[in-house]
Amino acid sequence: MHEMGIASSVLETVRKESRRGERASRVGVRIGEFVAVDPDSLRFCFEAIVKTSDLAPLSLEIEWCRAEGGRRGDELQIAYLEFEEVEVAT
Amino acid sequence: MNRVVIEKSILSENNRIAAELREALTASGALALNFISSPGSGKTMLLEKTLELLPAHTRLAVLTGDIQTDNDARRLLRYGHPVRQICTGGACHLDAAMVAKHLEGWLLKVVQLLLIENVGNLVCPTSYDLGEDAKIVILSVTEGDDKPLKYPGIFRKAELMILNKIDLLPHVPFQLELARENARRIHPEIEIIETSCTTGAGLGQWMRWLEARAAKKVAAASAAATRNHSQPGGWNAQLEVQCQRRTRQSRLHAASVD
Ligand SMILES: Nc1nc2c(ncn2[C@@H]2O[C@H](COP(=O)(O)OP(=O)(O)OP(=O)(O)O)[C@@H](O)[C@H]2O)c(=O)[nH]1
Ligand SMILES: [Mg+2]
Repeated sequence: MHEMGIASSVLETVRKESRRGERASRVGVRIGEFVAVDPDSLRFCFEAIVKTSDLAPLSLEIEWCRAEGGRRGDELQIAYLEFEEVEVAT
Repeated sequence: MNRVVIEKSILSENNRIAAELREALTASGALALNFISSPGSGKTMLLEKTLELLPAHTRLAVLTGDIQTDNDARRLLRYGHPVRQICTGGACHLDAAMVAKHLEGWLLKVVQLLLIENVGNLVCPTSYDLGEDAKIVILSVTEGDDKPLKYPGIFRKAELMILNKIDLLPHVPFQLELARENARRIHPEIEIIETSCTTGAGLGQWMRWLEARAAKKVAAASAAATRNHSQPGGWNAQLEVQCQRRTRQSRLHAASVD
């Protein structure tokens, strides 16, 4: 059950990658079949912690991939982030 | 709305700390090994046997991770080497930050060998790089010969599989050859050693593997040091540190369970 740790690492990365004037609305992660992360339990943990964080609302897309077609199956990555512009108080 | 491709490891912070640890360990030629297995497969007992069999002057340190208790550190302290217990207080794996924190004050330079016993768990520790040179998976024969197929992650990442408790083979329906085959299906290059920590079978082969792996690390570190025009350290490079050793060792031996 290390999905809670993985979920909080995702939030950390989102926070780091967000710039002033932007707010992340969606994050895409890629999970390989061999990294022993269960997508359902990752989603459960993510939703539980994002709710009470400063990053809410933030949606999660999980791409689960097999070791085929150039994929090694050991992916544990943030694939993309979607931002929307926000007004910055000056 | 604006989509930005990131393509970055989710564990990039862990990986950053692990890379720093690896660099520091490599600079001194120290070999770091991360032992992973289910609870009770014999990680601590294998480490106890290892400490017993290594030359007494080997400059090594042991970190042992558990969710609770310092039982394992107490067992390992009997061999006169520095040992620290990492209590994760719930977490099912060690991460690089825990390792870095528990190595503080133990100058990485003084260690030829760093043995890290992970929390008993065949799944979670797999994803976390601790800055080690190799992961070693221990599978004991009472767990079943299908485990490499059921938990492929760790068998893919481990350089070596130790099949432990072979003294119990007469009592369990475990097929050694099938276990080897299953492991190689997941990881064709995996090295395999069979051991019994109670009878001592296979421990000689394990110690030879360890020595060869340490020598390989020293050679790599020396080559890197030559490139950087600095002095190599490590397993066999003892002379140059002779005079410093006494102080270093006393510092190491002063360390105990925290
Ligand atoms: N028969 C037999 N028993 C063994 C062998 N190796 C370890 N054991 C026993 O297995 C039990 C568990 O061993 P440990 O060394 O504590 O296992 P561990 O992997 O460190 O366990 P955790 O740290 O709790 O995950 C102990 O009672 C050991 O004496 C072996 O080769 N043969
Ligand atoms: Mg143990």
